[in-house]
Amino acid sequence: MNRRNRILLSCVYWAFVAYVFVPLILMVLMGFKDSKFIGFPIRSYTLDWYMGVFEDAETISAFLYSVAIAVLSTIGSIIVGTWIAVLLEGRKFWGRAVIFGMTILPALIPGIISAIAFRIYARYLGIEPGMGAIVWAHAVHNVPFVVLVVMARLSTLPKSQIEAARDLGADPLIAFLRITFPYLVPAIMGASIFCLLLSFDDFVRSFFLGGYEPTLPVLIFAKLKSGMSPEINAIATAALLLTAVIGVWAERFTRRMNKDS
Amino acid sequence: MSYDASARAARGTVPASDATFWGRLAGWGPYRAMASFTTASPRRQFIVLAVFPILWVLTQHLGPMVQMLRVSLTDAYPVAPGVEQHLTIEHYLKFFQDPLFWQPFFRTLIFAGVFTFCTLILTYPVAYFLARHVSPKNRMLLLLLLLIPFWVGEIVRTYAIMILLGNTGAVNLVLKWFGLIDRPIPFMYTSFSMGVGIVYLTALYMLLPLYSALEKLPKSLNEAAADLGAGAWTRFRRVTLPLTIEGISSGCTLVFLISTGFYATPVLLGGPSTTVFAETIAGFFHVAGTQWPTGAAFAIIMFLAALCITAAFQRLMTMLRKGDKT
Amino acid sequence: MSNAPLVRLDGITKRFGDTVALSELSLDIAEGEFVTFLGPSGCGKSTTLRILGGFEQPTNGKVLLRGEDVTRRPPEKRNVNMVFQDYALFPHMTVRQNIGFGLELKGMGKTEIRARQDEIMSFLELDAFGDRYPAQLSGGQRQRVALARALAPDPALLLLDEPLGALDAKLRGQVQQELKSIQRRTHKTFFFVTHDQEEALTMSDRIVVMNKGKVEQDGTPEELYFQPATRFVAEFIGETNLLHGELRGTEGDTAVMDWFGQTLRGTAPAGLPVAGQPVTASVRLERLGFHAARPETANAVQGRVTGKTFLGSRMALDIAVEQAQGATLRAYTDAGTGQALSGDVPVWIGWDEASMAILRD
Repeated sequence: MNRRNRILLSCVYWAFVAYVFVPLILMVLMGFKDSKFIGFPIRSYTLDWYMGVFEDAETISAFLYSVAIAVLSTIGSIIVGTWIAVLLEGRKFWGRAVIFGMTILPALIPGIISAIAFRIYARYLGIEPGMGAIVWAHAVHNVPFVVLVVMARLSTLPKSQIEAARDLGADPLIAFLRITFPYLVPAIMGASIFCLLLSFDDFVRSFFLGGYEPTLPVLIFAKLKSGMSPEINAIATAALLLTAVIGVWAERFTRRMNKDS
Repeated sequence: MSYDASARAARGTVPASDATFWGRLAGWGPYRAMASFTTASPRRQFIVLAVFPILWVLTQHLGPMVQMLRVSLTDAYPVAPGVEQHLTIEHYLKFFQDPLFWQPFFRTLIFAGVFTFCTLILTYPVAYFLARHVSPKNRMLLLLLLLIPFWVGEIVRTYAIMILLGNTGAVNLVLKWFGLIDRPIPFMYTSFSMGVGIVYLTALYMLLPLYSALEKLPKSLNEAAADLGAGAWTRFRRVTLPLTIEGISSGCTLVFLISTGFYATPVLLGGPSTTVFAETIAGFFHVAGTQWPTGAAFAIIMFLAALCITAAFQRLMTMLRKGDKT
Repeated sequence: MSNAPLVRLDGITKRFGDTVALSELSLDIAEGEFVTFLGPSGCGKSTTLRILGGFEQPTNGKVLLRGEDVTRRPPEKRNVNMVFQDYALFPHMTVRQNIGFGLELKGMGKTEIRARQDEIMSFLELDAFGDRYPAQLSGGQRQRVALARALAPDPALLLLDEPLGALDAKLRGQVQQELKSIQRRTHKTFFFVTHDQEEALTMSDRIVVMNKGKVEQDGTPEELYFQPATRFVAEFIGETNLLHGELRGTEGDTAVMDWFGQTLRGTAPAGLPVAGQPVTASVRLERLGFHAARPETANAVQGRVTGKTFLGSRMALDIAVEQAQGATLRAYTDAGTGQALSGDVPVWIGWDEASMAILRD
């Protein structure tokens, strides 16, 4: 009885794995198709589409543009998010719950609404659509994730550590830099990678706040609207590989760091 | 051990010539002045720490929403110089006047609800399997396997679904091989393809809360219920399900909110008959800017609706949980 | 200012919301003393320590260090160091780096720091562990590192917050001896906080017993043990017999009480109630002597042995005192005397005046 359930459930699990992986595998395969038309069956294979990605100036510049945006917005999110986390964790003050609620807000607003709210506010602040606007929107949107991750780590730092540092002559800033910050490094690394991926993958905010230069997801979207082609598969696969590799590496990295400390 | 403090006393607070970086910093005049100014009292220290985060969340997190609300209530935007602005709710009224506006709105909410339910039905057994039938050693590995594809972006994954479901896509090919169909089934550009895509994109946000709720559940509870003669279905309905309501509730809330916000996926996977409200709202922002107030008003309507629905849903779930306890 | 005490607490009151953690605490600590604050949890001893360290600020009152008002000064600006209950060693620094932390921030040069680290590490027998991380040390070694780190910057006062609590019982006895000897050799002033009365009695020059935010008694271990001033102290430290009676009066240092018709004499602390009021006296178990006939001691009663507990080197006896409506006294005696006594024969119990303390309530 229990055994039958178990087999049934494991079938469901593997079916789900197939659901999650098969579309991506098909997409990678389609990039090898020796034809301009997307569709099965694939009769002959070629590497041309993949080689083409490395020669296409538009794709490469979109890729670099996305990476630059991801790095800059992540730096912003990390600084702000860590600061907010340090303020909120383990401190009681009037209005703390309200501040916390507002901190989390950007993560709860549905994508399209968040994108146009940023678009309107960017105009209000006088930020022209383009790289600056995208970096700003990504940075704000990713702050809540940093705050949650850093707060979780910070809550496990014994209070006596800071007190000991103060006791030995460190003022609050030196105590933070020498004791709290090293302790937070694993959380900050994990949060950084999460932010990098969120920013790199983001479409809706980049789309509404972008200027003439497209980020990689926006470029793929634009190409898709004008028709499917194995070229897009090759570009998408390159993006997929990058994110998946970073994701897996980050997962392993954070787990190792957590085990160590 | 000798305690000769006189050398240091003679030197005072000036760091030695070969002091370490931190020693130099702590003894450096300007830094000392800054430090003693900012840490003069616990209150001042708190203010120094709190001012930036509070300003940030007010201006950057709340600000965009507030500005959107303001724009949605102005009669003309962008504001021309010298022209007086008036408050108006005409943009909100517009919503009710044209089925072109409110049809996509209700479609979005219904779709989001249905897709959320589908995601729940699909991921619950997966989470259950992982939490209850897999040894803790393999659990992380099997979970990680599912996480990998979720690192891939929205657009790429949407495209993958397009390849899967197209007329010459993998599903149609397989069906033809088995001789089940002669002509391809037009999956694409329907609510079905949109559903497959959205469930594909949101499954993780359902899976993780469910998994953590199920993992916390002690196995002994089920054994106790079995001991009392409860069958498998009864055990699930009376023990497992009520105790994982919290996971279900947060997973559904998350997935529902995310589903209402998709823009690219409906554009790419849906057709003319499946226009969602996100597309309607976006339409107002493709043009120069005179239509922004209407778009903003519609975004606010959608946000409030989504909030009300999720709040009502959470209420219902809490009531269900409490109801079962008594 | 040279004859100002090292530490003076002047009317310290600390409130957390509605609860009063300390009320009107005034106290001097002299240079080189090993002072222990002893009391149950929540008595205010830790709050006192944290106020001295600068981690809490008193609601009222002043803290003077060598005559200087440091009440509002943050911990980093006080020449006071602390050994934390959980040691609070920095996990990402080696033993040497942990010890050097406070020295660096004093602006010491690298060679001076190195010399000081070496000196203190050899003093506390930590030479072999300089490059280890705290996670690689045993509990006793960690405790020594914490002590080394706190001693390294040469503080005027060392605060110790139950630093032996995390050690197992066997190690604890050894570390008690070590701590005491370190204190003697360094001539440092130690301010030690504990709830363990045995620990306090073993190590301290002076014990301050705290209860409910107030000082119950302040004295040497011997004074506290043999002349407890209050019932709380008598019961908190060691085992004792409590005799409930009525105060007859005081004659100088002597107080006379009536115990079920028996007139007993004991030492009188300040602040006794007036004659005629109910009063309690305390006699330690080992101060009761057994006699075949009425002894010459100031106090003597007759009773029968009703119970014996064998404790190895000695024996605990329960004696029902007939003249006192069967009230029971407990006494220690050596095993031989204990064996010989039987419940059938009445026995005389005597103790002198200095062995019994009449208590303030």
